[in-house]
Amino acid sequence: MSMDADLAFIAQAMPAFISEAAEQIEAIEILLLELEEQPDNRELLDSLFRCAHTVKGSAGIFGLNRVVEFTHHVETLLDKMREGELALNPDISTLLLQCNDQIKFLVDTAADESADTPEQKDLRADLVVQLRALTEAGQAPASQAAAVSAGPAAKPGAEAIWNISARFGVETFRNGMDPLSIARYLGGMGEVVSVRCGSDAVPPLVNLNPESCYLSFSMQLKTKASREDIEGAFSFVMDDCELDVVAPETADQKMARALEDMPGTPRLGDMLVSVGALTQDKLTQVLSTQESSRGMPAVAKSKIGDLLEAQAGVAPEVVAAALGKQQKLRESAPSEERYIRVQADRLDAVINLLGELVIAGAGATLLARETHGEALIEANLHMNGLIEEIRNGTLGLRMVPVGETFSRFRRVVRDTASSLGKEVNFEIVGGDAELDKSMVEKIADPLMHLVRNSLDHGLETAQERLSAGKPAAGKLVLSARHETGAILIRIEDDGRGINRERVLQRAWNRGLVEQGVVPPDDDIHMLIFEPGFSTAEQVTNLSGRGVGMDVVRRNIEALRGSIRLNSNPGKGLQVDIRLPLTLAIIDGFMVGVGASKFVLPLEAVVEVIESGGEHVRVDERGRHCLELRGAVLPVVRLRTLYSVESDLPERVSVVVVHSPRGKYGIEVEVLLGQNQTVIKPLGRLFKTLRGISGSSILGNGEVALILDVVSLGELITGTDLLALAG
Amino acid sequence: MAERFELPAELNIYSALETRDALLAWVAEQTAEGRDLLEVSARDVAEVDGSGLQLLAALANGDLPWHLVEASVPFMAACRTLGLGKWLDGRTLKTGATQ
Repeated sequence: MSMDADLAFIAQAMPAFISEAAEQIEAIEILLLELEEQPDNRELLDSLFRCAHTVKGSAGIFGLNRVVEFTHHVETLLDKMREGELALNPDISTLLLQCNDQIKFLVDTAADESADTPEQKDLRADLVVQLRALTEAGQAPASQAAAVSAGPAAKPGAEAIWNISARFGVETFRNGMDPLSIARYLGGMGEVVSVRCGSDAVPPLVNLNPESCYLSFSMQLKTKASREDIEGAFSFVMDDCELDVVAPETADQKMARALEDMPGTPRLGDMLVSVGALTQDKLTQVLSTQESSRGMPAVAKSKIGDLLEAQAGVAPEVVAAALGKQQKLRESAPSEERYIRVQADRLDAVINLLGELVIAGAGATLLARETHGEALIEANLHMNGLIEEIRNGTLGLRMVPVGETFSRFRRVVRDTASSLGKEVNFEIVGGDAELDKSMVEKIADPLMHLVRNSLDHGLETAQERLSAGKPAAGKLVLSARHETGAILIRIEDDGRGINRERVLQRAWNRGLVEQGVVPPDDDIHMLIFEPGFSTAEQVTNLSGRGVGMDVVRRNIEALRGSIRLNSNPGKGLQVDIRLPLTLAIIDGFMVGVGASKFVLPLEAVVEVIESGGEHVRVDERGRHCLELRGAVLPVVRLRTLYSVESDLPERVSVVVVHSPRGKYGIEVEVLLGQNQTVIKPLGRLFKTLRGISGSSILGNGEVALILDVVSLGELITGTDLLALAG
Repeated sequence: MAERFELPAELNIYSALETRDALLAWVAEQTAEGRDLLEVSARDVAEVDGSGLQLLAALANGDLPWHLVEASVPFMAACRTLGLGKWLDGRTLKTGATQ
């Protein structure tokens, strides 16, 4: 490939690298936080190392040297942890999280070196100093490092082959040091199995400053010397040298590693043969022994792993590694094959077209009905069925578990709580509930703000909590679950709740509520979402400026969602965010009032009651209601609510729907049945229309309004309905 | 100038700058004469360090290929120690070099 072709390939592949690196970086953060909780978990540590290694390796392909150089230091620290020389503690964890932020910054700004400001460079240099201080000097005694199980390491005094690689700093010669002398010194410690000089970084003669050093070497050294002895050879260049001394492996460990690294070969025997742990002949013998035990009772049957150990003399460690690899392959194979990366805008284009297809399909069905041709109607029905399947499948493509977004909050909670000096137990519940990807992206910021707010204002300090008779550590739960065609995301803390009096006082002072007027509690709580409202006595840099809470509500409402607060003074606060599952298409139930058409989300519909208008009566509070199986059901009369002008029909229907506040009825005149509803946003003029969440264009070009069952339910329980009820 | 370049007896940091300039001038001349393979001799090299070997690595990273025609024992030992044994190609290198 020519250089131009290389560059073109790199430019084309760069977005994919950035996207994949972002995933790895996110995974690093999650793994680090998990490792904090399970410091003994070797798998987590290995995964963490692999993620960092992948980022470094891919960045190297793209020539992103800043990412490679910095990540290399992180990788070195992780390697020390894998070798059991360092144990994860809160300080190291914080450092690694900060390093991960830096890697993210470097990846995000990969294409723009000018974004790498002097401040960032200083920060990076500082992180490198901290990393090197740990990797070079801070080798914890074995007792301290016991938290992470030790990797392979040479026993002192036993001869072993060490892999040593050293990249010397540019000042090495000027400092009076010489890589040749060091290589010679190492040679004196044992037998040099192989040595290779790295001279690729040496500039051509015309550009070479001969007093600057660009050399590196990698050596395999067979020696009885310890790691300390080997590293001692570099002690005078340590400050200006990147050194990796990799512990030797025993033959069995080598085979175990070869098994781990090999691409998927599921059969146990084949795996062992391919790494040289077993000959093909031995394998055939073992297999025939196993075959002969097939007819025997279960207890007498031999497992292939046991036979390989007993008959073929394969080390248990190697068999265990092969079985482990096999297990991992089984677990990972389906998930590896399950994903395909698709550009989001291509998917959006398909979904937009799908919306048009649904409308066109409805139009065709209408025309088919007018022809009264049974075959045509039948064909249309079949086509609509298929369209519905395509719709569900396509919308499903955009659904992602909210848990991925929730996991990001672990870091926020950890850092925020620590900066506030608070102790917080953070729980995530129902992270597998799915939501449209664009919604997930848009909800992340409002959620972040609410979580911070809970930590900052909701949860008390340990001292305050203890004196209030609560446990010292606060509790913050972020949960998600599906509820009547929507998703409910709840942020719940066991803090002090909303101080109703202080909020009311502030609202009076700010003129948000007329002095002396006391609105219902729910309305008082919602005042915190008013622009510029803040009750924090001490404004902190996290929240408390009143900036953002109004934006939080606005952003949620822009997603056709709603936010509700449930405060229990002294006990805690629940913030409920309800969001539609998707922004595009819903299954609707269409009804008519006069000439107007309305669509209800089908999932909210419980039943439909035929009713003479006389059965709906007005109660003492002026609300319409209906007696249903001995219970009083509040009823919304759309004709009255939206001032629909038409003759009142003799018979009406009441559609019973359920909302978070309970069941209620919606009085309609015509039932038009189920349909797929492509949601179009309401124009600015109609945004303030209560109880309506959007509109939809029908097959014949008419417009139907989509009813928002939740806000309609709130109207019915609120005082507003009294004024509206006529 | 000569067809082959004789490396100095002291191929180390103290002579590195001077050797580089001399090598550059010689390479320019060889290029002008249309040579497609440079010949370098380390016959006289008695003392060598990493910076000396780095000069040859820099020559190797240039446009014209080169090969070693003779080498002293200390030079060969240094190349082998640092993992640059590939320069000591037996087919072209005259052995029995001076020390």
